[in-house]
Amino acid sequence: MKKQSIMMAGFAGLALTGCIQVKAPDKPIEINLNVKVQQEVVVKLQRDAQDLIQNNPELFPQ
Amino acid sequence: MTRKLLMFAAGAAVALASGFIMTAPARAQSGAVAAAMTAGTVGEQADGYLGIAGTVGADVRSEVEAINIKRRAAYTQLAGQRGVTVQDVAAATGCQTLSSRVKQGQVYRIGAGAWQTKGAAAIALPPYCATAG
Repeated sequence: MKKQSIMMAGFAGLALTGCIQVKAPDKPIEINLNVKVQQEVVVKLQRDAQDLIQNNPELFPQ
Repeated sequence: MTRKLLMFAAGAAVALASGFIMTAPARAQSGAVAAAMTAGTVGEQADGYLGIAGTVGADVRSEVEAINIKRRAAYTQLAGQRGVTVQDVAAATGCQTLSSRVKQGQVYRIGAGAWQTKGAAAIALPPYCATAG
């Protein structure tokens, strides 16, 4: 009984010393999404562009 | 039961295939420009327009200009429908022409860069040409 409680205390001590401290940054985190938005516009247009090419073969000789 | 299902599947496949062939658009080509593209004197640009890469006759030059004017009109119309800029539509079309229309041996240009000849490998597209769905 006594031995067990000593071991428990030991584990608790280990857990305490193993703590990782997380500190909040001082400055707000800024994420710039402008490039991503521009890219999404073009990606959505890819399908339209495909149709445009297929519907106007005289404008897209090969 | 299984046999019936199989027959149905086969029928559906045939119907699909024939439908695909029927709807494949007939391809009209403007001969002089197509010949110049094969010769490497006219090529597609990433900006969505045709460009002149070498020495061409007046007929080819005027044909390229006419095509580009018509392309701009088509881009402008689509841009209006989608609420985006003409440049966006033109760039998206440029991604398509470079990725799937320029053939091996034909020339192309990205931005203000030099004209390059397409080899066996796919053209390295500008980063904004992310894979379309």
